Amino acid sequence: MIKNLLWLTLIVLFFIAPFVGAVDLSLSEILQGNTLNATIFYDLRLPRVLFAFFAGGILALSGLLFQTLFRNALMTPYTLGISSGAVLGAGIAIKLGLATLMFGIGAVSIFGFAGALLTVFLLIYLSQFLRASGQEALLLLGIALSLFYTSVLMVIFYLGSAIQNDMLIRFTMGSLSVIGWKYPILIAVVALLLLLFVYRYKFELQLMSVSDEQAKLKGVNTKRVTLLLLAVSSLAIGVLVSISGPIGFIGLIIPHLIQKLYPVNITQRILKTTLFGGLFLVACDMLSRTLQTQSELPIGIITAIIGGPFFIYLIIANAKK
Amino acid sequence: MIKCADLSISFENKNILNNVTLEVQNNLSILGANGSGKSSFTKALSGLIEYDGDITIDSQNIKTLTPNARAKLLSYIPTKLELYDTLITVEEFVLLGRFPYKESLFSYAKKDYYIVKEMLEFLSIAHLAKHTIAELSSGEQQLTLIAQALAQQSKIIIFDEPTANLDPKNSKIIAQHIKALKEEHTIILITHDLHLAAFIDSQVLFIKDKSAKLYEKEFFSDTMLEKLYGTAFSNLAVRYD
Repeated sequence: MIKNLLWLTLIVLFFIAPFVGAVDLSLSEILQGNTLNATIFYDLRLPRVLFAFFAGGILALSGLLFQTLFRNALMTPYTLGISSGAVLGAGIAIKLGLATLMFGIGAVSIFGFAGALLTVFLLIYLSQFLRASGQEALLLLGIALSLFYTSVLMVIFYLGSAIQNDMLIRFTMGSLSVIGWKYPILIAVVALLLLLFVYRYKFELQLMSVSDEQAKLKGVNTKRVTLLLLAVSSLAIGVLVSISGPIGFIGLIIPHLIQKLYPVNITQRILKTTLFGGLFLVACDMLSRTLQTQSELPIGIITAIIGGPFFIYLIIANAKK
Repeated sequence: MIKCADLSISFENKNILNNVTLEVQNNLSILGANGSGKSSFTKALSGLIEYDGDITIDSQNIKTLTPNARAKLLSYIPTKLELYDTLITVEEFVLLGRFPYKESLFSYAKKDYYIVKEMLEFLSIAHLAKHTIAELSSGEQQLTLIAQALAQQSKIIIFDEPTANLDPKNSKIIAQHIKALKEEHTIILITHDLHLAAFIDSQVLFIKDKSAKLYEKEFFSDTMLEKLYGTAFSNLAVRYD
């Protein structure tokens, strides 16, 4: 009952979302076409809502993957410092004044992507030195990397001009604002590829979610599958974060919530987690556009305000076990 | 037939087994003190840990087998299940035994589901099919593990101290199942329970001081046990007084 109500609310919000914001739009205006409001709808609102939907899907699904592969509810690309890596990359691009475009994509995005990717490789490299049971150590590594990135970012802030710093601050807060269809289509393709990829490996994932030993005994090359899935989801996160900036906690909250709502094994939670993550981020984005009338609250702030206390709750719940 | 030639196992720079060479005809019980290397031996056999030397099963060197071929050849039943995702049901868990045979990337075949059903009925746990593993008792968990191994249809089944967590009644049920499985499978049994080993009636591998030696039935004679354990069979049943 609660489950259905929750889904229904989110789906209704999804359909309302393109119509609300700084300017409220009505259906008749849009259907007339060629008006300013129709342009707002087709070139700003609709792309944005779809961008949010697919971004939320990627964040939630990656969270589920990381949590399952590391067998730890606190592991997400965000808590492991991958998003911070993207922010630092973007910060460097902004500081260097690389606002020019490469292959039609902003230098900030390319540097952000490189930052996320480098962090993943660094984590994989460093994790070799941990014992097989070193989950907590890996989490600490991620946090240490995040702190290190933040201090480097502070240096960039200190040296940066006011305009650069303003750009950087906006990027670190995360934003789903997109103009036109280029990024929504890119992110939709990335999300669908990621989902397809996870479906391809869902039975391996199911075995590995039982135990690493069990998976090996059934003929799964666990090391290879783990690296493959981590690399692919990190790529997806890298692409997303380089465009949107860091959006935290979706990957932490949604897989956990879905597991509570649907106590079934992982293969049956993949699609639910992805869809719910997408709808949830659309709702958060709608909130960010309606709380303030003049401008909008950055989405990263909204998800962090919801997610921060939840993170603390998870740590305590985990420690109790 | 399982052959080991110059088998040595080390774990974290500690030598566990040293230059073991032996030929096992059929079923095998493995005995020895805690930490003597019983589990390491079977883990090497199942490809979970690295080793030096060669192990061949029916003249196939298991190092050359693909993980999939190895899964079809042998299954391993741990003492206790340690799960991360405890939300998996008995039915789904037993179905995992069919993974090595899965042909389609996206689903199991009808035949796989049929085999799962058959195994659950064979072990009289069909009524637990929809329960999650976390809800089961230790005895039911052990039966579920056996069902999964049977669904895996491997020639060799390794049991790692199957009765260690069980009460006498469940131990008996499991022991009888293991003995019955000898008909169609090769059983490798790790245990501390001499009565269980005697009941299974197989060759015995006794591991001590990094080496392993094979015994036939004479292992259970009082003279042999006295030599190995320093006391007679009747005194080896655990007493707590």
